[in-house]
Amino acid sequence: MWLTIYYIFCYLVFAYTIMLLVGYVWLVFMSRLAQRQLDVNLPDDETIKYLMQGSPLTPAVSIIAPAFNEEVTIIDSVNSIMQIDYPDYEIIIVNDESTDRTLELLIEEYKLVEVPYDIAMRVQSKPIKRVLKSTDERYSKLIVVDKVHGGRKADGSNAGINVCSNKYFVCTDVDCIIEPMALYRMMWFVINSHKPMIGVGATMLMSNGCIVEDGKVAEAAVPNTPIPMFQQLEYLRSFLISKLGWSRINALPNISGGFGLFDTDVAVKSGGYDPMSMAEDVDMLLRMVTYMKNSGQDFQLALVPKVCCWTEGPGSLKQLVRQRTRWARGLFEIVSNHRKLFFNPHYGPIGALTLPYLFLFEFIAPLFEMTGFLFMIWLTLTGGVNWSAAFLIFGMIYVFSVFISFFVMFFDYKLKAVQWKHTKSSYFKLFVATLLEPFIYHPIITYCSIVGYWRFIINTTAVWTPIQRKGVKKR
Amino acid sequence: MGTISFIKYYISLITAYCKFLFTFILYKFADYPNEIKFAALVSALCVMIILVVLLSIFWMSWLEKRKRRLRDHIEKKFGKGIEYIVSSEASEIMSDKEIQQVFELDDEDLNGSLLKNNREKQMFVNVFYLFFISKRSELSRTENIHTMLYMFNIPDYLEKEVSLGSMKHKVNALSYMRTFKLSISPWVINKLLNSRYMRVQRLAMYSNIMSSSDSALDYFETDFFDNNCCIKDEIELGFSLQRRRKMGLKLPNLARWAHIQNNEKTQCMFVRLMRRFNEIEYCGQLKDLYNQTKKKKLIEEISRTWGYLHYLDCEDMLIEALLTQPDDTKVAIMHAMTRLATGKSLNALLDGFKNTTNPHVRFEALRCIYNYGTEGRALFEELERNASDADKKYFSFFHNPITLEKIRLDKEQAYHPSVETVFNG
Repeated sequence: MWLTIYYIFCYLVFAYTIMLLVGYVWLVFMSRLAQRQLDVNLPDDETIKYLMQGSPLTPAVSIIAPAFNEEVTIIDSVNSIMQIDYPDYEIIIVNDESTDRTLELLIEEYKLVEVPYDIAMRVQSKPIKRVLKSTDERYSKLIVVDKVHGGRKADGSNAGINVCSNKYFVCTDVDCIIEPMALYRMMWFVINSHKPMIGVGATMLMSNGCIVEDGKVAEAAVPNTPIPMFQQLEYLRSFLISKLGWSRINALPNISGGFGLFDTDVAVKSGGYDPMSMAEDVDMLLRMVTYMKNSGQDFQLALVPKVCCWTEGPGSLKQLVRQRTRWARGLFEIVSNHRKLFFNPHYGPIGALTLPYLFLFEFIAPLFEMTGFLFMIWLTLTGGVNWSAAFLIFGMIYVFSVFISFFVMFFDYKLKAVQWKHTKSSYFKLFVATLLEPFIYHPIITYCSIVGYWRFIINTTAVWTPIQRKGVKKR
Repeated sequence: MGTISFIKYYISLITAYCKFLFTFILYKFADYPNEIKFAALVSALCVMIILVVLLSIFWMSWLEKRKRRLRDHIEKKFGKGIEYIVSSEASEIMSDKEIQQVFELDDEDLNGSLLKNNREKQMFVNVFYLFFISKRSELSRTENIHTMLYMFNIPDYLEKEVSLGSMKHKVNALSYMRTFKLSISPWVINKLLNSRYMRVQRLAMYSNIMSSSDSALDYFETDFFDNNCCIKDEIELGFSLQRRRKMGLKLPNLARWAHIQNNEKTQCMFVRLMRRFNEIEYCGQLKDLYNQTKKKKLIEEISRTWGYLHYLDCEDMLIEALLTQPDDTKVAIMHAMTRLATGKSLNALLDGFKNTTNPHVRFEALRCIYNYGTEGRALFEELERNASDADKKYFSFFHNPITLEKIRLDKEQAYHPSVETVFNG
């Protein structure tokens, strides 16, 4: 009987591996198709500006950035957001009752005064204490919301949604560096869509290796330190292959909380962000999809890889483990809270394809890997390993992972987004990361996933600890 | 060896290598189980693809360098001339000879082709387009631009691209021709109107509307836009109609088109365009639509248009609709009433304020009363004196210099500048 179980397990793992490989190849193919479509549909920046700048039909956007104890970077960050080039937008900075001088600095720098407000609490958030606006005409776009401490980014974002007055809002982190043309490019997809566009995502990259000048990224380089370098490769793979591929069939599973544009009305009707969720961005998007499908409305989701937002990622192993454990926990939460969407064709390609893929190849994969690893140890100890066959199969997996990462570099090169075009040394670093990732970085992520799942199962209280920021290099 | 034959050779080499490799692997692993054969094949395939991807990256890098060199060359050779033509310095119509002098070209240059091949022409168009949209002055003359483009044989090149190029080339060339106001042969337009690509069809139609006779507008008599209309269509159609108006050509009856369409989005688009093009004479035609339709958005847009265009005959209908329509639509109707500001609808606004619990509608009603000329301001002050504690928060907005700005602003004013006068009271 044990032998039968052994064979069944081996064939199951083999079938799983083949399905995973096929899934990846399919995503690469879809991503390439999406890029070709992008070549036709997204004109150069000058044309976009030429058409949108003078038109009264260009939709207005609210940029929401929650801030908690950001006194070191807050002024630079707000100045950076103000560099965005778009005809009609407002910036909403939500101060989550910072205990440092974040609010004082904002008040001093932008000459803020309290203004009357009458805000309908459309989505759940902690009470708003006051709303401040600048007396200086130059900062008329800026709104600062001072609210009772909620402790989560989602709570701050919800307060921002309650204050925002525009049809679309962008949710970002206050420390993110956004490309000046970002809104134009994203809104181009909104005005071009024949169906209601409920969400538009962008590419997120590591700001750890970048050099910033006047709030803009002057040199976009791959970080030199190993942890952020591996993350850069991982982010590129996630955005340029996985998410872009899914967006081709309108099945984008996630719009990053770091920089994403949403339809305010749909977000409000879906309940906004869940302040208790560990994966609030995926959670809100899935609720928006559920709302649209249940109310019989068609919708569109898009990812614009040529829009880039830089964020500071964990710089040390400790921080990375903490972040990824939280993400794994969030994934478990999504699988558990949105289980009725999984394998459900009623929810379109997201329910029928993306979420099953997420479940099979992202949620279960770490469990498979861990089981496989333990099984391998047992076989080694019992002398049951055919080493030449084992090396060949390991070799196949390794070569395949390198193959996917090469496509990432190829797509990165092909997209040619002006500002984040990597230099030769950056590509070399990505190449090194590609070769080493399966041995160093991937096992860490697998470990974090297992720990995250375990913590979810035993129901440990989730603690959200912000990353300790070092700030970016300035010229 | 030409590029195409080189690529063919390259592909045949790869195919032959693949065949060899697969045969070799199958031979080498003949005694192994299928799983092992599969793993070996996948690994070999991945290695080959990695090599191909690497070569492609080098190839793209080389192409890009070549493109950059060509761009620099074109900019260096013609950049100054182009800048002169699109700037305010060329505000008078120039002769061929004068333009030739600007580009420092002699007759010999003109005898041969100035731009040797399509690659150079394409780059010239790209460079010129960037100068055109970034540095163009209002005083520059379209005639000079056209003379220059003809000197470089650009219109012929673009027309060839439009008729024979791939979808991407067609779309680009059409966009360039529209931007440079170059006319396109009717036969090319007719061909494009039947293109299998929706994007090409629409661009062709917009180009046609810009310059052609009245028959260019026949397309709107059909259900061309049904289910497939987006904001960009409205922007493009608006541009085309605007250019048509500038050229002194007749503008169509947009109200009629709004009637013909079935799709709500499309109907709203035409109603919005009516206010952009100030079509007051056709406002009456919207009355039937207003009475018959149950589409909320359409009612909102018609109300707004009547308000913006100051169509006084609609006031009774607006007052009546305010009692029956849902909250979102009510706001649009109240705004329209304020723009008309005849005095007749002030009581309706007051009812609108009193008879609702929706804070947004209450605030908007108050905002409309505040902006309703002298009578409205008097009513506003009276309401403020008698306001309950709960209502006082609404009034506080009207006393703060920062929020007061917001109260007076209306994002859609850009559509029709005359509305400023309505709010000045």
